[in-house]
Amino acid sequence: MHEMKHEEMKEEQESHSINGHHHDAPVEDEEIKDWWKKLVGSWLFAIPVAFLMLSSRIFGLELFSARLTTIIILVIGFPVMFYFGWSTIRGGIRGLFTFYFNMDSLIALGTLVAYITGIASLFSSTLDYSGVAAMIMAFYVTGKYVEAKARGRASQEIKKLLELGAKKARVLQGKQEIEMDVSQIKIGDIMVIRPGEKVPTDGLVVKGESSVDESMVTGESLPVEKKKGSNLIGATINQDGILYVKATKIGKDTFLAHIIKLVEEAQSEKIPIQVLADKITSIFVPSVLVLSILTFGGWFWLSSSLNRAIAASVSVLVIACPCALGLATPTALMVGSGMGAKLGILIRKGEAMQTIKKVRFIVFDKTGTITKGKPEVTNISAGVKENYLLEIAASLEHLSEHPIAKAIVEKAKLKKYREVKGFKVLRGRGVEGIIGKSNVVIGNRFLMNEKKILFKDFDGEIERFESQGKTVMIIAEKGKAVGIIAVADALKEDSVMAITTLNKQEYETIMITGDNEKTAKAIAKEAGISEVIANVLPEDKAKKVEELQKKGFVAFVGDGINDAPALKQSNVGIAMGTGTDIAIESGDIVLARGSLLGVTQAINLSKATFKKIKQNLFWAFAYNVVAIPLAVAGLLHPVVAEIAMALSSITVVTNANLLRRKKI
Amino acid sequence: MKKAKIEIIGMHCASCASNIERSLKKTPGVKSASVSLLLKKGTAECEDKVTWEDIEKAVKRIGYNVKHIEFE
Repeated sequence: MHEMKHEEMKEEQESHSINGHHHDAPVEDEEIKDWWKKLVGSWLFAIPVAFLMLSSRIFGLELFSARLTTIIILVIGFPVMFYFGWSTIRGGIRGLFTFYFNMDSLIALGTLVAYITGIASLFSSTLDYSGVAAMIMAFYVTGKYVEAKARGRASQEIKKLLELGAKKARVLQGKQEIEMDVSQIKIGDIMVIRPGEKVPTDGLVVKGESSVDESMVTGESLPVEKKKGSNLIGATINQDGILYVKATKIGKDTFLAHIIKLVEEAQSEKIPIQVLADKITSIFVPSVLVLSILTFGGWFWLSSSLNRAIAASVSVLVIACPCALGLATPTALMVGSGMGAKLGILIRKGEAMQTIKKVRFIVFDKTGTITKGKPEVTNISAGVKENYLLEIAASLEHLSEHPIAKAIVEKAKLKKYREVKGFKVLRGRGVEGIIGKSNVVIGNRFLMNEKKILFKDFDGEIERFESQGKTVMIIAEKGKAVGIIAVADALKEDSVMAITTLNKQEYETIMITGDNEKTAKAIAKEAGISEVIANVLPEDKAKKVEELQKKGFVAFVGDGINDAPALKQSNVGIAMGTGTDIAIESGDIVLARGSLLGVTQAINLSKATFKKIKQNLFWAFAYNVVAIPLAVAGLLHPVVAEIAMALSSITVVTNANLLRRKKI
Repeated sequence: MKKAKIEIIGMHCASCASNIERSLKKTPGVKSASVSLLLKKGTAECEDKVTWEDIEKAVKRIGYNVKHIEFE
């Protein structure tokens, strides 16, 4: 036990000691720089080698005797192989001895064999391939450099996310503003954020009003209004007012940190289509080694020419490349999820990109997904002055916590409330109280019947509003109905547009809700959804999804608040963000922005990404299937084989980067 | 059970990633491993007895380096 603790402490220390460099990405840049140095260096020597090879073999120029030419090539080629290519040769040989073969093993073996023919040619009649060795190495290094650069581009969106966070913050201490590092902020600190400044970390506005640009985090293009009580997301940009903000989340717990973690985790995850390619990759190099030996043997036996046997087997070694196969899926996935992150679409499970193609039903939760999840006053009908009606209604309702009460208060926007005496909440029915000298009752028809208040004048309108899916409150003063207020949970602005698009794409859209049939149908109709599953208790939503799954793949769109089991049950769970909380745990795809347009975008993005993956895998397979037999047949010069190899992985990575051209 | 997150230096081809996966999986106590060439990161599900030294050894013995290990 004691040892264990010690170990853990060491872990802690180890973890912390390197943590400073944790999220910056210099490794990649260093890798590119390293390949670049090798590239320049190796070509410096490889070009003279190429010149010597070409001058004698193609142009028939005999600058030096054949023997001297070979010696010169061996000397000039030496640094290309054993200095600039040293890490490859060393890694490759180590691989051969430990049975952990990789690309290096193939290149090392291929170039070493070729180089040795040069030495051998000095003492025997074998052809000299030493120049080829230097050329292969130079092309290999070049290919690696280009590939590393392209790979770096594939992750550019993620890098931008990593760099998005603010560096400095101004924090109030007493009456003084102290500038400090973002890492020094503590929960509860009051930050001062001026126009144009980045929000240092997630927080709650305690003073001030402004609009904030959240596009970089949520993809929401319009600035969002913020006032006292609003939540702010770190790394967003304050536009026009000074905000005083209490820090609520710091470090690993912030919205941005969650997004980054989500995206990174999804990218390191493997998706089903990749399985075959990965299996091939894992046995690829040993298989090629065996194939190369067989090629050598076959050629030697058939043609009894050592030279042809060497050329063909070296070609096989250097043309075979597992990289195209290994990079096909992850690069496309990385570009796709990076593009998504930029739009506020977070792909949590890469697998969803593959599954979404098969989806037939899209089930939407109503409250908070199709609708705003916040009731609003939609109609007022008054037998007295409308202002007066709102004034007495709001004065009474501001004492209640009910969402409908809040909607009425919000609508009235009173600066001063009338004094209320004897306020009472009549659970499930309404409220009552005395304003001035008159008794005021607000509630549904049951309450009015109970109080023997007649509301015949409003009957027609009540009927009409209710058929539109609205909830109607009747206001009575001194025992007489004086007006009605209809409240509805309005559709989000772009719900209709998103659902229309999905209907056009031949998805079957379905709305699921706990509301009664009448209300539900009215809202579904407004949203453009024909099928409704009404009267569903939250805990039964998953069951309904399961029933649908008997008929086809189901995507469930919800806010994760009471529908997490349904999100999990569905084939693709799409969780809608609600303000600063993202339902991280429950969705396969998480939309940082609460708009349904994100659903169509997520579907488009997934389809485009998956198409790229398939293209890439096709090219990678096709390349190896065509190129390896050509090399075995001795139809490819080793240098040409090496160029083809380098191009194959570059093609795949570049093709993945081309995904960005797709309009999502 | 815990999860080791490993940042790896020196991978440059698809076989490298699958080699490291293989080497990690051979380490006693490691249940599963997944390495991403693109992210230069790997994760390993392992029993509690597995130390960061075990992980580091598995990566280093086949010629790669470890930049950072974190257990979760």
